[in-house]
Formats: sequence, structure tokens, C-alpha cells
Amino acid sequence: MNRRSRLVSRWLLLIALVATVVGADETLHYPATSGDGPRSSLVIHGALDLPQMRPLLEGFQRQNPGLAVRYRNLTTLELHERFLAAPDEADVLLSSAMPWQYRLANAGHAGSLESPAAQRWPGWARWRRELFAITFEPIVMVVNEAIIERFGEVRSHADLLALLERHAGALQGQVVTYDPASSGAGYTYAIEESRLSPRYWDLVAALGQAETELVDTTGEMLEGLIEGRYLVGYNLLGSYATARLVDQPQLRIVVPEDYTLVTQRLALIPRQAPHPEAAERFLDYLISETGQGVLARETTLGAIHPALDGPGTATLLRQERGEALRPITLGPSLLATLDDLKREALLTRWQREFTP
Amino acid sequence: MKRGDSLYRRLLGWLLLPMLMLGSLILIQAWVDAQRTADRAFDRLLEAASLAIAEQVQWQDDRLWFDLPPAALDMLATDAEERVFYSLVDGQGRVITGNADLPGDPREGLGDPDALLYRHIDWQGLSLRQGVRRTRLEEWRVREPFEVRVAHSREGRDALAAELWRANLAMILAMAALATVGLLLAIRAALMPLTRLRHAIRGRDPRTLAPLELTLPRELAELRDTVNGLLARMRRVRTNQERFIGDASHQLRTPLAGLSARAELALRQDDPARWKEALIAMQATSARTARLAGQLLSLTRLANPEYRPELVPLDLNAIAHQALRDHWGPCHRQGVDLGMESTESEVWIRGIDWLLAEAIGNLIDNACRYGGHRVTVKIENGPPRLAVEDDGPGIPESRRLLMLRPFHRDGDDQEGSGLGLAIVDGIARTHGARLQLSAGHDGRGLRVALQFPGDTP
Repeated sequence: MNRRSRLVSRWLLLIALVATVVGADETLHYPATSGDGPRSSLVIHGALDLPQMRPLLEGFQRQNPGLAVRYRNLTTLELHERFLAAPDEADVLLSSAMPWQYRLANAGHAGSLESPAAQRWPGWARWRRELFAITFEPIVMVVNEAIIERFGEVRSHADLLALLERHAGALQGQVVTYDPASSGAGYTYAIEESRLSPRYWDLVAALGQAETELVDTTGEMLEGLIEGRYLVGYNLLGSYATARLVDQPQLRIVVPEDYTLVTQRLALIPRQAPHPEAAERFLDYLISETGQGVLARETTLGAIHPALDGPGTATLLRQERGEALRPITLGPSLLATLDDLKREALLTRWQREFTP
Repeated sequence: MKRGDSLYRRLLGWLLLPMLMLGSLILIQAWVDAQRTADRAFDRLLEAASLAIAEQVQWQDDRLWFDLPPAALDMLATDAEERVFYSLVDGQGRVITGNADLPGDPREGLGDPDALLYRHIDWQGLSLRQGVRRTRLEEWRVREPFEVRVAHSREGRDALAAELWRANLAMILAMAALATVGLLLAIRAALMPLTRLRHAIRGRDPRTLAPLELTLPRELAELRDTVNGLLARMRRVRTNQERFIGDASHQLRTPLAGLSARAELALRQDDPARWKEALIAMQATSARTARLAGQLLSLTRLANPEYRPELVPLDLNAIAHQALRDHWGPCHRQGVDLGMESTESEVWIRGIDWLLAEAIGNLIDNACRYGGHRVTVKIENGPPRLAVEDDGPGIPESRRLLMLRPFHRDGDDQEGSGLGLAIVDGIARTHGARLQLSAGHDGRGLRVALQFPGDTP
């Protein structure tokens, strides 16, 4: 166990905030509104912004007015650390750090949800009945319209590579992406992309040529793009970009045509959850048609439920992008992502390619 | 009807019981086999994954190094979505990397250095199957030993084992059903002759004693033959009884007819002297008839197999002495010398005194009647024996047994009833004694002996 926690903590130091905009102390609290029925409460720890979470919680409380709900928004790092320190604190863990969530479930920390909705949930979006993917968030590029005017459309990774290779000089320091060495999300995408195509390393080399800025979060990239410090952002979390760039017409969100990584937020119920019944009800709500409908209409996270289509759903995205979508597989290969030696190997290679 | 009363059920029970036990054994065996098969199939995954990992292990920067292929981990999980664990351990037992601190395998390798060691482990509350691959680097200079440990949870194995077992179960159940049906038919067929026998017996005319005629299997043929033997004996008994009744009626009718004729003859006379003469004759005849009736009665009683009188200890000498005293007078008048040879000590037997006295009386009477001049009653001990011997003409050996039949009389004898020896035989049987007829002393005359059961010195 010692060894394990040492590994974990070493790792945790490197997990970066995916949702930086969120402060560590952000909470939402919904007291029980009706007095009848057994009084119970529900504690949710999530790495999901309050504006995105609020409609979900409100919808849930409309169905369960007797339940006091407390939501605490944490970074993926804090969420993981808090869970390991106090596994009986939260009823539901909701995080976009897929490998870490998977690792918790794999080690048997998650309870099983046996409900009809869980039975029907698509196989690719869950692992056993313990880990449920509830969102569908593409990884996108954000390109300033000025670039498109000057150098033409950027629709794919190939376009980006060509742009960087041809105009490295013009773009010096104006491209931004995740730092895989210090951001867990960036590292996860790097490992997934390197598995998808060897040409990823050409892209890394080109990014290096352009002296790309490396940051830790999507939020930082978005701020820089809005401020005009950066003209091209690579590998941003689509859901946050969509929400943030509603009033930024000069910035175009590009869902790459050749391949688009898709990350998913994973929810699990810790085995030692203090209110397992309420937790099951909430998770059941998240994967119900109602909950997913709220997700599609009132957030930018992307609903997975197969019965839903239209804006804000995976169904629509699949219709538009089809084969190009590459959801990160929910399986044991996620464990490889967390391997110490593998990380060292990948980062060494990344540095070698990136450094001109 | 009680459960044990049905031969059918008893057979069924005794055949089904071993079948059930056998079936349970087969089921257990099938379960063990299914698990072994599932383990063998899934152990291949452990083997392949550990090999894929081991192949990646290199020596770099003075330490073990490898780039974990994600596919190796995917290999360990099937549709059952097993939990997957792996670790790389160096020669000193230090964990180089891995997602779990899996325990080592205490067993030594089986000679082959690349062999995998499989076993079940309970690790942090999870039931896992672990494979440990012990190998070493095969580089130019570095031959560092290391261990790859992989493990996964058992869902896939259990599902496969259950599936295999269910398939077997269906087959075994079908076989059991077939066997049971076959068993029922076989028992029914085997018991069919019994039913036929029952029908044959039930369908008979209750008055007939004819033997059963039907072909049966050996075991039942024995029963049929036994029944037929019994029927034959019953036929003989009935024949005997019919003849006895006929003879008895005949015997009684003759003196009664004589009486009737004598009375009729006397009534035609007017002389009272004649009447008295007739009455005296009639008295003698009726006395004889009464004695005959008495003999018939005792014979009937003795012949009844239900007649089991209570036997008491008796001294044969005392009985013989009493009989001698009773018969000495009449014998003396006929000029017969009646004597006795007794033992010095008492001879105890179990019997009924008046029956034994009757037997001795009958034998003395017979001896006197058939020409004996010297009649001796002999008591012998060891075994207890009562014999009456005479010096009369005797009976040829070939006809001795005939003398035991009721109403059998020898030659032109008109006086006796022919019941004497038959009654003695009946008394002997009642006492469990053997009746022996032989020639008398010096091969002359007749010796009739009753040998009682008792100590043989």
C-alpha cells in the first residue's frame, strides 16, 4: 500500500486542473425542500464547473425534493487526493480524469449500480456497472479568424501541421497547447494521439518549431486566445470552449475532421459512500433520459443517451463527424497511461521531438 | 400400502439411489472440469499478456525499463470486464512499476525458466487469478533477472465455467431422464411375469387343486413349482380324507346294519329267551361299534394338524406299568403271556399320559389279536424308546407301511377295525416320535417301537 500511495502521490502532483476557472472552495448547497419522507442528504464531489453542474442538480432536486444535496467543485487532483484520504466522504465522484477514475474502479473502490437505466447504458460508455461515462466532450482546436483569413482554412490535424510547418516563423509564440509534463489532461491526450498515429510526433516537432506556449489548463488557453495573446489553440476541451466563446466571434472552434479525441466525464459511487441509496438515485438520474436531456439542453457537455438527438448530444456529433470521433476507450489500456515508466518514456520522447 | 410393500418401488428405490449418487458425482466432476477448462483458456491470456510485457523490458540507464504496451493490458480483459493488475519486479523483489503491489509466487519454477506460475490469490478483498513470469534479460552483457506479475479478476472464468457446466448439466439431466424412463420400463417388464402369475392364481376356480400351468422366468418358476407341490400335497390329503370318510361310513354301516337285522329278526320271535339272546348280541355289536366310533374320533383328532396338545414330563416306565396292569387280565384270559422289560432308572419324556396308554393298549391288543402268544412291552433308554414285541406271524417287510393306513387290514381279519396302528402312528406324530416296524426277537413276530426325541448317550 505504501508503494501504491507513493506512486499515486507522485502522480497526483502532476495532475493538472482541467477546469482552472474553478476555485477550490466552490460549493453548491440545496437544502431539502419538502419535509416528508426520510431525510437524507447527498454529497457530490466533482470536477465540473458550477454553471454546468447547477442545472443538473436543480433537475435532480425537482425529482427528489426531500434530499439535501451538497456539491463540491474540486480540481481532478484535489478530488482524487481527497478520496484517497477519506474514501467515505463523498457519495458520488464525477471527474474528467479518466485514467484515475478508471484506476479507482479497477482497484475495487467503486460500488455497482444495478438499475434498469444502468443495464441499458451503452457498453462503450461504462465499465462493468461501476463506472459510467455521462458526457461526450470532443477535444478541439480554436483558431483565430485572422489566421484563417491569412493562411486559409484549418479543418484537421493535417491542416494544422501544414500551417505550422509553413508558417512557423509567423506563428512564433502564438500557438498554445497543454504541457503534457505538468497537465494530466495534456498527458492523456498526448498518449492517446501517439497511439493513433506516428504523425503525431511530426506535429509535436512542428509545435516545437513554432515555440508553442505550454500551459496547464483549457481555461488559460481560452483566456490567452480571447486576449489575443495566442492565435491558435490546440487540444482544448470542447465543452469549455463552447461555453466560453459564445460571445467571441473572432475565435472559431474547429472539431478536426481527420480525427477528434473525445473525453468523457466518469461518475462512480465509492464503495464506502455514506448515503449509497441517494448516490444511486443521483447516478441513475445522470444516466436517465431526463438527466441527459438537461445535460443536452442546458450545458455544453454533450449527452450520451442513445434516445436523445439534436443539439448537445453525442448522436448529433456522431452524425456530423462520424468515423473521425475517437472516444478514449474505457478499458484497461487507461492503466497503461498511468504507468510510471511509460510516462517517463513518453515525456522523454515528447521533449526530444518538441525541443528544436 | 406401506412403502416397503411394493416390490416395484423397492426396486426403483434401490436402482435410483446409486444412479442419483453417480449422477451427483458426475455433476461435481463436470463442475471441476468446467472450472479447469475455463482456467486453462483464460490462463492463455495471462501468458500472452505477461509475454507481451516481458518482451518490452530492457536495460536502460542502469535499470530495468519498459514501455508498457496498452494492448497487453487490454488482452487481460474480456467481455466480462475483468479488473486488471500488473507489476514488474526486479531480481531483488523491488517493484519497478505497476498498478498493484501483487504478491510473488512462493513456488519454485518448474525447470523451464520461462514457465508461468498460475494460482488463485485473494488480494485486498478481490479474488484474482495471478500469473507470474520469471525471466531474465537476454542482452549482450546484462542478464538481469526480473518477474512480470499479471492478474485479473475471475468474472470471465466463472462465466465460462458456468456456461460449460450448464451445457454439461443439460446433457446429464437429459441422460438421467432417459435412464429413469428406461429404468421404469425395465422394472415394469421384469415384474410382468409376477403380474401374470397373480392373474393366473386369481383367475382359478377356488375348488380346483390342479397344478398351475404357465411359463415363467426361473425365479418365479421355482415359486410356481413350490405352489404346485403344495397343491399336490393338498390333493393327496383330500384323497386320503375322502377315502377315510368312505371307509369310516362303511365301517359304521356294517355293524349298524347287523344291529338292525338282529333286532328285526328278534322282533319276529315271541320267545323272551330269544330276545335276551338277541339283546346280548346287539350289546356286544354296539359296544364294538362304540369303540370303533371312539377310535375314529381319536384318529380324526390326531390327524388334525392344528391339534397341538400340551406335553408334560412323564416317566415311560410308570406308563408302561399301568398299561400292563390294565391289560394283563384280558390277555391272561386269552392265554397270552404279557410281560415287560423296563429299565432300572426312570425314562423321562415329554408327552400325554392317556395318549401313550392308548398307544400301548392298541399295540398289546393288536399283538394279542394277530396270533401272538408272548407279548413283551419294552422300555429302553438312550434314546427313550417304547416297544411292543410279539411272537406272532409278523408282517412281511414290504407290507409294513401299508399297515399304518387307516382301515387296512391284513388278509381275512374280520375282527379288528384296521385303525389301531394308524392311531399309534398319529400318537407318535403328536409326540414327535418315530414309529418303527421291524421283526421281533430271532426274526419272528413283529416289533413296533416308538422312538422319542431325547438325549442320545
